[in-house]
Amino acid sequence: MNKDKVIIDSHLGSFFSFKEIIRYKSLLNNLAKRDFLVRYKQAFAGIMWALVKPLISILIFGYIASKINSTETTALNFLYVASAILLWQLFSTIFNEVSNSIVGNANLFSKVYFPKIIIPLSTILVCLVDFFISLIILIILFIVAGQPVHWQIILAPVFILLTVINGFGIGLYFATINVKFRDVKFIVPVIIQFGMYISPVIFSTTYYMERLPTWVHWLFCLNPMVGAIDGFKYSLFGGNAIYDLNYFILSIGVSFLFLCIGIKYFFKFERSFVDYI
Amino acid sequence: MSNNPIIKAEGLSKKYILNKNTSVPSDTLYGNIITGVKGLRSLTRKKETEEFMALQDISFEVNRGDRVGVIGRNGAGKSTLLKILSRITPPTSGRIEYIGRMASLLEVGTGFHGDLSGRENIYLNGSILGMSRHEIDKKFDEIVAFSEVEKFLDTPVKRYSSGMYVRLAFAVAAHLEPEILIVDEVLAVGDAAFQKKCLGKMNDVSKSEGRTILFVSHNMQAIQKLCNKGLYLNKGKMHSFGEINDIVGHYLQSGEAGQSEFKLPIPEEITHGYAHTVFIEDMAGNSLVEIPVGDNWRAKVLFKLNKPTNHFIMGFGLVSSFEQPIRTSWSAPEDLTAGDYEMIFNNDDLMLTTGVYTVVVGLSSEQRAFQYVDNVVSISISDAGDTSQNKRIVNTQSGLILNPMSVNLKKIN
Repeated sequence: MNKDKVIIDSHLGSFFSFKEIIRYKSLLNNLAKRDFLVRYKQAFAGIMWALVKPLISILIFGYIASKINSTETTALNFLYVASAILLWQLFSTIFNEVSNSIVGNANLFSKVYFPKIIIPLSTILVCLVDFFISLIILIILFIVAGQPVHWQIILAPVFILLTVINGFGIGLYFATINVKFRDVKFIVPVIIQFGMYISPVIFSTTYYMERLPTWVHWLFCLNPMVGAIDGFKYSLFGGNAIYDLNYFILSIGVSFLFLCIGIKYFFKFERSFVDYI
Repeated sequence: MSNNPIIKAEGLSKKYILNKNTSVPSDTLYGNIITGVKGLRSLTRKKETEEFMALQDISFEVNRGDRVGVIGRNGAGKSTLLKILSRITPPTSGRIEYIGRMASLLEVGTGFHGDLSGRENIYLNGSILGMSRHEIDKKFDEIVAFSEVEKFLDTPVKRYSSGMYVRLAFAVAAHLEPEILIVDEVLAVGDAAFQKKCLGKMNDVSKSEGRTILFVSHNMQAIQKLCNKGLYLNKGKMHSFGEINDIVGHYLQSGEAGQSEFKLPIPEEITHGYAHTVFIEDMAGNSLVEIPVGDNWRAKVLFKLNKPTNHFIMGFGLVSSFEQPIRTSWSAPEDLTAGDYEMIFNNDDLMLTTGVYTVVVGLSSEQRAFQYVDNVVSISISDAGDTSQNKRIVNTQSGLILNPMSVNLKKIN
C-alpha cells in the first residue's frame, strides 16, 4: 500500500523514533509555547521573574564562596559560582519538570494519541528558554569583572547539551516511576537539594577532592553533573577547572548511561501509562 | 473501492486489574510498603486484586468509507474499544491493522487551556489532534467561521461562554482530515441547533468525502442516520456486527437499550379518554434511551379524548428509585374537545443526578382523576458522556439535585 500501515498489537513497549517526533514537530512547539505563555500570563513583571531566582542564588552562594574560598579574588569567586549555579539550575529545572511532565499532561494522552516523548521534550525547550534568558546575568558579570574569554568558549554549548542530557535522562526515569508512584513529586526536590552539595556548584571539584579521602574520589565523580559543570567552567575560564581527566570522562560516561536507562525505561512502559495514571 | 479492509481487528481483548484493597492507598510507595508488610506478616500473600475483562475477543473488519456505529450499554466496552483503536491504550491481546491517518475525538477541546486565547488554542488543539502548522494555517479561516467566535479570537477562552468554548473546540476537530475518524459522544454537548450542525458536518465528511468513521452514541436516531454499519457490544463481548438497521434492531429488542417510547396500559373503564404513549426525548425531539446527566429533556405524552372534557388537567411526576417523589407538574386547566392530543413536559431547569427514575402520569377532569399510571415509564439518566465537559456539574454524586445554588460572600467586618 502507498499509505502508512499501522499495526497495533499487545506487545508492551515501543521505541524511540525520530520520524514520529518530526511528524509531531508542531505539537512539540505548541506545547512549549503553551507552557511558556501560560507561565507569565497575568504576571506584571513577566519574563523578568526568570532572572530573579538565579540572581538571588548567585548573590548568596557567591558571597559564601568568597568568604571561604579565599585563594581567588571575590570577583572570580562570583563568576565561578554564577556559571555553576546557572548550569545547576538548568539541570534541576529540567529534571524536576521532566519528571512531572507526564503526570501533568495526562489529560492529553488519555484522550488523543501522540508519541508521549513529545511532552518531556517540549518541557526541555521551555527550560532552555529560561536558561538563555538567565545567561544575561552571566554576560553582565563577565563584562563588569572584565573577565577575558578564551577560545575554549566554543566548547560551552557541548556542556550545556550535556546538562540537558543529564536532566532529561534522569527526569525520564523518574517521570516513568511517577506514573505509578506519586511520591516522585516529593523525592525529586530532595535529590536536587542534596545533589547541589555534592556537585561543584559552590566549590570547585578540586576543593572537594582535597578534603575528601582518596577512595571517595571516584564516587564523587559518578555524579554526572561533575563533568558538565567542570567542563562548562573550563570552557569559560580555561585553566585547571577539570581536576582529573579520567574522573571527568567517568562522569560524562555516567551521563550517557543515565540517558540510556531513562529512555529505555520510559519506552518500556510508555504504552501503558494511561492504564496506571 | 477495493475490497481491502481499512481497519482489521483480530481477537482484541483488554484486561484491567482492579485493586480491591482500598484501605491503604496502593499508588504511593508508602502504601506499597504497608501492603507488603501486612502481606509478610500474614505469610499468605494473596494478591488482593481482581481481573476485569473490559473487552473480550473482538474481531471485525471495516471497509473504506464505512460509517460504523458502536452501540451497547454503559460499561459494554465501547470506550475501551475506541481507546485501543486510537492507540491510547494497548490491547492485552489481539491485533489491529489500519491504513492511513487516524484521528480520534474522545472529547472536544483536548488540551484547551483557559489562559490562552482562542487563536492560540486553535493551534494547540489542532497540533494535539495531529495537524501540522501548515494545515492549521490553511484551515484557520474556515475553523473560525464555523465556530462563530471571530470577535473573541484574542480573548482567553476562560472568558468564553460554555457554548462558545464547545463550538470552537468542535470546529477545530471538524476540520481534521484523517482517513479514519473516531468519535465518542461528542455530540452530547452543545444546544440542539449546534448538535444538528455537528451531525450535519459529520455527515458531509463521511458521505461526500468518503471517510471512514467509527461513532459511539446512545442516540439511536443519530446513529441510524449517520452510519451504515453497526457494532453491538455486550459486556465486553461482540454481540453482532453488520448492517446498521439490523444491529440497532437487535439492540432495541434485547431490552438492554432501555426504552424511549412507552405504551401505557389502556384503562379498563374509559370515561373521558386515556393517555396511551409517552416519549422521552431531547429538546430537539430526538428520542433518548438514556439522558446524559445535566442535559435538558422532555416527555411527550400522547392522549386521546372520546368526548369534550372540561377543566382538563394532566399531571406528570418524577419519582426516584428510592420511591421519593421529586417533582410533579400540572398543565393549566383547559376545556378540550374530543380528539388526539400531545402534551409536552419540559425538564429544562432541573439537573438530576444519574440513576433510574419512574414517571407518574395522571389525567383529571373537573378535579376528578380518570387515569393514573405509575411504574410503567422509566427514565434513565447516565453520565455516559464525559461530564467533565459539562461545566455546570462538578460532581454527579453531590446530591440528588445538581443545580448549584447562587452563593454570595460578604465581608461583614
